[in-house]
Amino acid sequence: MNQAMSQERMEQIFDQVTREVTQRTAGVCLHGGGSPSGELCTVYTTFQKGCWVGLSMCAERSLFARLAQGMLPGGQVSERDVEDFTKEYFNVLCGRIISEMYLETKAASRFEQPVFCVGRRVPQGHQEHFSLRYTSDCAESAELVYQMRDSAACTLPR
Amino acid sequence: MGKRLMVVDDSRVVELQIRKLLEGTEFEVVGYCQDGETAIAKYGKIRPDVVTIDIIMPGIDGLETAQAILEDHPEARIVMVSSLAYEGSFREAEAIGAKGFVAKPFEQDELLQVLYQALKV
Repeated sequence: MNQAMSQERMEQIFDQVTREVTQRTAGVCLHGGGSPSGELCTVYTTFQKGCWVGLSMCAERSLFARLAQGMLPGGQVSERDVEDFTKEYFNVLCGRIISEMYLETKAASRFEQPVFCVGRRVPQGHQEHFSLRYTSDCAESAELVYQMRDSAACTLPR
Repeated sequence: MGKRLMVVDDSRVVELQIRKLLEGTEFEVVGYCQDGETAIAKYGKIRPDVVTIDIIMPGIDGLETAQAILEDHPEARIVMVSSLAYEGSFREAEAIGAKGFVAKPFEQDELLQVLYQALKV
C-alpha cells in the first residue's frame, strides 16, 4: 500500500540525492544557497503517478558545462555535449529520487525524457511547490524546482 | 579472448561512459544502438557476448527490447541498466530473463561485476 510523504521529507530526499548524484557523476560538490543568474539553462521533465508533477533544474550554463566535463574527464565539451550530458545527469537524478521515494512510499513512477533549453523554464501548466537552491564549489548556482500541475485531483504523496 | 559488448541506450553519453570505463579490460564495445528497434534488428548480426540495455527509452522500452531479443535468442545475456533502482525494477528485469541489473550512476568495478556475473549465469 502506498504511504504518503511529508513535504519536509520529500525536500530531504531531493536534497540528499541531488548532492550525491552531482558528486558521484561529475565530481562537483554542491552546497546550500545561491540563486542562478546570468547565462541560464534549464533541464526538466514530468513524472506520471496519480497526477503529473514536474521537476526542473535551472543553472548557470557554466555549471552544466562543468558537469559534462566531470562526466567524461579529458574530453573536449561541445554545445551538443553540454545538452546531452545534462539530460543524462538529470535522467540519473530523477531515477534516483524515484528510487529513494519508493523505499518509503512504495509508489513506483516513471518520467518523460528530460528536455534541455536555454533560459529559465518550467513545464507548462505547472506551479512551483518547493525549490532547493545550490552553489557549487566554483560559485556557480543552481535551483531545483518541484512543480505540481494546476489541476486538482492529484493523488501523489504530498 | 576478449568479451564483446553491445550497448543499447538512447543517450550516447552512456555509450561513451561505458567505453571509457571498459578501457583496459577484456570487454570491448562492438555495437551501439540508440533504440530498441535497432537493437532487436542488429543483435543477430553482432552476436555479442553480453548486452547492456537501458530501461527508459523512447519507443520500445528496454524491458520490451530485452524480451524481444530473448524470444529470438534465448541464449542472450542481457544486463539491464537504469537509474530506477528499486525492487519493482529488479523484479521486472529478473522476470523477463535479464542476467543482471546495474544502477546508474555506476563505476568501473560495479559494471564489471555485473558483466562477469551475467557471463557466468
